[in-house]
Amino acid sequence: MEAVVALERDAQLMLRVREGDDTSFGLLLERHRGPMVHFLYRMVQNQAVSEELAQEVFLRVYRSRETYEPTAKFTTWLFRIATHVALNSIRDRKKEKGHESLDEEMLDGMERQVADRQQTVEQEMVHEVKLREVRQAIEALPAKQRAAVLMHKYEGLDYAQIAGVLSCSESAIKSLLFRAYEALRGRLAHMA
Amino acid sequence: MICLSRNEQGAELLSSYLAKTLDAARTAELDRHIRECADCRGLAMVWERLDEFAVPEVTPGFDARLYARIAREEARVLGWRKWLWRPVAPLAAAAAVVAAVLIVHPFGSPDAAKQASKTEIEQVAQAVDDLDLLTPIDR
Repeated sequence: MEAVVALERDAQLMLRVREGDDTSFGLLLERHRGPMVHFLYRMVQNQAVSEELAQEVFLRVYRSRETYEPTAKFTTWLFRIATHVALNSIRDRKKEKGHESLDEEMLDGMERQVADRQQTVEQEMVHEVKLREVRQAIEALPAKQRAAVLMHKYEGLDYAQIAGVLSCSESAIKSLLFRAYEALRGRLAHMA
Repeated sequence: MICLSRNEQGAELLSSYLAKTLDAARTAELDRHIRECADCRGLAMVWERLDEFAVPEVTPGFDARLYARIAREEARVLGWRKWLWRPVAPLAAAAAVVAAVLIVHPFGSPDAAKQASKTEIEQVAQAVDDLDLLTPIDR
């Protein structure tokens, strides 16, 4: 019920943006900025790139305001744009750079998170290793499986929404997620 | 028996189980099964491990950078529209003037037509000059 209310509010806000109300765009940005950046961060595992991509997503939303029609859930539309942008970025970065900057960013992120928690050196090292393994296991998933897992696990999207984002059937998403979690279980089994 | 690792609904079931949103009977059934099934324990472990993938805060200048990009893009679009409209506007105005003259004086004697044609040309030329004067100069 809460999700339905949230959907209606998002769609209403977007319709107001279409009428030229920039304040409503600000409210949409406020509501979805965090989830967008976090989803993209987990997709590309680089903070600067994730924010750049999130800006591209909101820019595309703003560009589309005049033709917006609330035919799908706003979040489904938003994640569809974000997934498209992320998959393009992953493809381009693979071509251009390989994984050098990704590793640097991973270390930066881990250092920051560890410092925040004020753990002992040993705990920090254990945490770093676990975090690195989780991130690498996610990164090793095929991009579409990765997107589906991130939307399902962290963003709370259900099968139908993920199917809408990835333009496939619900049964295909069930199968995709099943394979993804099985792959993660295989890669992270030693951590049990 | 529910086995998460042999069920395509497993991910959904597992997330509901860990969020404690399943009914008591289903929860008890899964509790028992997870104790006995290594594969399902593995899946539950994966779900918990994924929680460790923390994300950094969004940097403070995010909105300002976005609005600056939007402003730049809007300025660029406006520039394009202006550039595309400039050569079209005088021609459209001239065509409108010609059309108006033809509607008011559709036919006439050859001399009158010649005179009218000369007047029309002068009017069109004047209209084009006027429009050129009215068109803002790019700075």
